[in-house]
Amino acid sequence: MNAFLSYLIHGISLGCGFALIASGIIIIYRVTRVVNLAQGMFAVVAGFSAASLLDIGLPHVLAESAAIGVSSAVAVFTGYVAVGKRGTTPQQSLIVTLGVGIFGYAVEVLIWGDQPRSFAGLAGSYELFGVDVPKQYLLIAPITLLVFALLELFFERTYAGKAMTACASNPYAAALQGIGVVRMSLYGFGLGGALGGVAGVLLTPLHPISYDSDVSLFVNGFAAAILAGLKRPVLALAGGLLLGVAESMVAGYSKASYQSALALLLTLAILIVQATRRETLHAVEES
Amino acid sequence: MSFDSRSATIVALAAAAVLAAALLDESALSVYVLLTLTASVTVGVSLLMGHAGQVSLGHGAFYACGAYAAGLLSTHGFPTWLGLLIAPLASAAVATIVGVPLLILRGHHLAFATLALHLIFLSLISELSITGGDVGLQGIPRLSLAGITLTSVRSYAYLSCTALLLVVVVAQNILSSRPGRALRALSSSEVAAASSGVAVGYYKLAMFALSAGFAGLAGGVYAFYMGYLAPGSFPVMLSIEYIVMAAVGGLGKVSGAVVGSAVVFLLVHGLSRVATLSGMPSTAPIILSYAVYAVLLVSAVLVLPGGLMGLAARAAARVRARARYKNGGQAETPPAVGPDNPVAPEQVAPKHGSFS
Repeated sequence: MNAFLSYLIHGISLGCGFALIASGIIIIYRVTRVVNLAQGMFAVVAGFSAASLLDIGLPHVLAESAAIGVSSAVAVFTGYVAVGKRGTTPQQSLIVTLGVGIFGYAVEVLIWGDQPRSFAGLAGSYELFGVDVPKQYLLIAPITLLVFALLELFFERTYAGKAMTACASNPYAAALQGIGVVRMSLYGFGLGGALGGVAGVLLTPLHPISYDSDVSLFVNGFAAAILAGLKRPVLALAGGLLLGVAESMVAGYSKASYQSALALLLTLAILIVQATRRETLHAVEES
Repeated sequence: MSFDSRSATIVALAAAAVLAAALLDESALSVYVLLTLTASVTVGVSLLMGHAGQVSLGHGAFYACGAYAAGLLSTHGFPTWLGLLIAPLASAAVATIVGVPLLILRGHHLAFATLALHLIFLSLISELSITGGDVGLQGIPRLSLAGITLTSVRSYAYLSCTALLLVVVVAQNILSSRPGRALRALSSSEVAAASSGVAVGYYKLAMFALSAGFAGLAGGVYAFYMGYLAPGSFPVMLSIEYIVMAAVGGLGKVSGAVVGSAVVFLLVHGLSRVATLSGMPSTAPIILSYAVYAVLLVSAVLVLPGGLMGLAARAAARVRARARYKNGGQAETPPAVGPDNPVAPEQVAPKHGSFS
């Protein structure tokens, strides 16, 4: 029972991280129709930046916020390269985000080296139902919920949020209303980068990250986004939690190395079922 | 390009490749072997992306699959030539089996699915005891063909060169025959191709399997050349390198794939040699190679959509136009429509060679 509870708590924390990355992927996808392969890189950049800023003596909350700012700026740059040029098709942009992600590797290794890094999060632990739970784990879920609440408010109540939703549903009509579609795409990337950054600074204290951790972060984030149907960021929270808990249970009761393979197989199965169910619609939409 | 001049080009390139294998020194030969193997995989990836419109981030897995098939057979007492023969077949068979469900997906979904395939394959070979797990598969014997055991690097250079030539000839023949025209039609519009009687699903699957077969063949040669295999030799980056090379050369063109792999491979190799000079930090080689791959990929997609071969074709067209202008503005006659060339490729695929 104790083991189960600790796996559950670990899974929820992990799932929150996946959900944050997934919501970034979804927001960028909705506005630009581009699946951003550099999404994992944003989290890694934020994690590394936070570690460096803490090293030079910045206090905790400030360092993490600055790191999220850095990842957001990196994301806007990514967006500018990927969708800034007129007439770039989504498939071209997909490849470009892949290229920017690899460029991120070069810059990360140049600045931070190729060894895994981490930083201390909240120290200490609470005892919960007889299980020692590090405080950092308990920090993740409330912050994630807060971020998702803010996201909902942003899309429901602000002009920029509504404009982004308009671009997502019909870019042509949105442009006719005087909404700058390219600018909204860059906002989308900036927001997506900030969300990736939040995931990065929250998860880095749990597991040290290295420059190539972005592959597993992206894959899990995209899996959660697929579970959410790539539609609403809030659904990604459910997708991420499901995935995180499932992986944590597999890692706990079976073998740790099976966890990502299992998540991938599950995601592939869902993708294929979805595609067969709306084959014709899909074909029309893509061409 | 007429068929005859195309075969003449292939013969000339083949002669150059064989000559290079005969003349290069030992250290250059090891680069040559890896370069020709990489080019063999890239030809398949390029055709898949340029003609069947599929982005595969997982061809490194098919390369690994061929390598492990050859390695496992030859370490379990089977003759090595059988291992080399089975390698492409095994990869093609795996591609056919996973391709049936996977190719329902398109675009970014397919890109993700192939990336997932690569990751699943990696975790499979690092878990199974038969493949040696993380330690890898050791003690793969040298390849023996008709009683001759290939031991020197030069003999493997000839072998990899033969593999590349085989891949180029097969790919070129397929492109200039009926399946090639079907694939070209398919790459511009699947709906239009399907309504003209092209079995879209069948051709996409066949192309996927063929490109995996190319990768498997290269992987088989790699297994005998290296003598040991480990999951670490087939990182996700490997699959991405093929995409970079295909995009730099110009998607959908066999010559582009070969030229692209040669340019990118030699550039990265040359830079990493510079980066290992004394005084450079130990991380310099990875930094430089990642930066080169990234910059080449992004600029190939955004600035040079047709790749190097597209650039060369445009330059050649400009030279021809200038010559025509000097000859008094006589328009060049378009290639005759006949059995050899039923429809001009431009008419079938307006965006031939570009993404989308």
